[in-house]
Amino acid sequence: MRHIIAVQLQNEAGALTRLAGLFASRGYNIESLSVAATNDPTLSRLTLVTTGDESAITQLLAQIQKLIDVVMVTDLTDGQHIERELLIIRLKVSPNGLESLQQLTQEHGARVLAQEPDNFVIELTQSEADVNLFIAAVSRYGVIREVVRSGALALATTGMADG
Amino acid sequence: MNHPESLESAKHPRAGQVLSGAEIIVQVLADEGVEVIFGYSGGAILPTYDAIFVHNRDSAQPSMPLVVPANEQGAGFMAAGYARASGKVGVCVVTSGPGATNTVTPVRDCLADSVPIVVICGQVPTAAIGTDAFQEAPVTAIMGSVAKHVFLVTDPTLLEATVRTAFEIARTGRPGPVVIDVPKDVQNWKGPYQGQGALPIPGYRRRLALVDKSTLSDASAAEFYSLLSTAQRPLIYAGGGAINGEASVELTHFAQHLRIPVVTTLMGIGAFDTTEPLSMRMLGMHGAAFANYAVDDCDFLIVLGARFDDRVAGVPARFAPNARVIAHFEVDVSEINKVKKVGFHHIGPLRQTLSALLHYAKTSNFSVDWSAWHAHCAQLRSVHAFNYDRDSELIQPYYVIEEINKHAKGEAIIATGVGQHQMWAAQYFDFKGPRQWLTSGSMGTMGFGLPAAIGAQFAHPSRVVIDIDGDASIRMNLGELETVTTYDLPVKVVVLNNCGDGMVKQWQKLFFKGRLSASDKSLHKKDFVRAALADGYGFAKRLDKKADVPAVIKEFMEFKGPAFLEVMIDTDAGVYPMVGPGQSYEEMITGDHIVSRKTDHDVTPPDTAEMF
Repeated sequence: MRHIIAVQLQNEAGALTRLAGLFASRGYNIESLSVAATNDPTLSRLTLVTTGDESAITQLLAQIQKLIDVVMVTDLTDGQHIERELLIIRLKVSPNGLESLQQLTQEHGARVLAQEPDNFVIELTQSEADVNLFIAAVSRYGVIREVVRSGALALATTGMADG
Repeated sequence: MNHPESLESAKHPRAGQVLSGAEIIVQVLADEGVEVIFGYSGGAILPTYDAIFVHNRDSAQPSMPLVVPANEQGAGFMAAGYARASGKVGVCVVTSGPGATNTVTPVRDCLADSVPIVVICGQVPTAAIGTDAFQEAPVTAIMGSVAKHVFLVTDPTLLEATVRTAFEIARTGRPGPVVIDVPKDVQNWKGPYQGQGALPIPGYRRRLALVDKSTLSDASAAEFYSLLSTAQRPLIYAGGGAINGEASVELTHFAQHLRIPVVTTLMGIGAFDTTEPLSMRMLGMHGAAFANYAVDDCDFLIVLGARFDDRVAGVPARFAPNARVIAHFEVDVSEINKVKKVGFHHIGPLRQTLSALLHYAKTSNFSVDWSAWHAHCAQLRSVHAFNYDRDSELIQPYYVIEEINKHAKGEAIIATGVGQHQMWAAQYFDFKGPRQWLTSGSMGTMGFGLPAAIGAQFAHPSRVVIDIDGDASIRMNLGELETVTTYDLPVKVVVLNNCGDGMVKQWQKLFFKGRLSASDKSLHKKDFVRAALADGYGFAKRLDKKADVPAVIKEFMEFKGPAFLEVMIDTDAGVYPMVGPGQSYEEMITGDHIVSRKTDHDVTPPDTAEMF
């Protein structure tokens, strides 16, 4: 089962390496990982997507909590949460596809950042599943040149539980 | 606490003094009560070595002798031996690059066996990091995956707090190794000594506090005893956590009050006096046959600071198959249900947990008659006792250990290498208390024994410390033979020489049709006795006649000062019992001299693909 896990990590030398290393050395896959600063300059917030059965995820959470610079770990999967991913995609579009593509973009609430047929760039913020659907949809109107995704970001709707 | 006077008196005498980074490191070590430093100097750590020299010459505080090994791996294992034997944090100080990488093995070894050490590595100057400078190695990246924690000090104002915090992390919770990487310019920086302060590690401290204050509630105790009251054959399975948690006394009181037999893991040896009638000794791959049968027969298993390691529960589903309840008491939440699902568990410090359990048993007058089970265990112990070919003309290793044990009387500190001799020592020595048995359990590092014995001797200068080693294991850190005489330590070194890697040969004979690939050393030229003599041993003998064993061992054990004894043992001697990899206790091979419960001795060879 897919799990989305939020981690608050102290900004220390090697902290991210240790967390990533834990996944590698204990045989877990990271499907996506996003890391960025928070309002607290000493902390980073990570959002991880991984898969595993219940006991594997329980074990993973326990192992993450053993890392000294981990401040908090929360498995957001079960609770209500908001999940978003940023997509930026560049396409080559034939002139007769332009209009349909612009319409599709509007329907999905995406934004067009550049609209030359050779360099058609769209930005979309949606759930991972919707991003996947959108990529499939746009591919009908143009040739995908480049895809960049942030990986999932997530927030519990009721505030982060103590981990 | 808040009195101005008490604040004043708590102020560090050197607070406010301007010190170099190196002096700050040494002052924190002194404040932490460090008694001895194991390490090897080199370019990037020179300032700190100089500061240790000056401290030992000038300071009114106790000096911290520097013990220099032949190789930094030796220093790491000396620190580990010191820590294992004393329960205090061992300290190892090495230079950058190769100095640091040579300590990777002891650091991983300490993590795997939960041993608290602090390793301070010199690093190339901050500005040179990442330039492939001379003797540079990416220590945080390398150590990050093998240490409990790693610090790279880039801000010298945080150096003091970092060193102090490293000790805190090493000794708290599930203990482990902490590495501090200190660039040379940080050692040469000058700034005021604070005399207090630690780094913020809010997540770690909060989780630790949760575990530390997690006392066993009366309701949980009641639930435990209500489960236990229906048991007819309860058994305690105690691991290294009972020793790391300083819970040996409480374990003993608990087991004796309730009259529950005790098996221990390799790491738990000494947590419960092996000479006590309730002791069923060690379980596992090379555990006592009677211990393993007791595990098979028990209907209630109480797990104390142990983790169902693959050498204990090779096949988790068939481990303790008759136990209706497994109750797991642990300090590390990640060990619960990691290998084996348990019906009852409690996370908390083992010592307090056992005290609470005992208190509840006493106040609730808990009492069950388990005399039939006691009789069964006594019978298992006598029928399936350890045994060997006592009439053999060759020197049997078990005999040698029995003879040494007559002098050691369960009170010596025994360190070992890894392999057959390690298992024989675990099986045939008595251990009356904790921290007497120093062995590389999880990592299984050959070469561990000699440096660990040296470290232990520094922790306990007046105790008898014996390194039981193998000819192959001791070769791994043979340079440390000289370290013993350099510091004139009364360490007793025993090499049970079976001309090769005995355990490897045993597996090759059992599972690889006897093809002794790269494990036979009978053509090797090493003369261990002459090597020991060359290193200045006042006692260095080779024992190759069975009749001489008692007299030579007596002489060896009575010798004051560094002593070396090589014993030419039966090269075919095996370690029995043996639970083959991937097999259950029921299928245990007991050899020719230990009585098995299995009537047919057909051994299904394990699947080689699953073997390790």
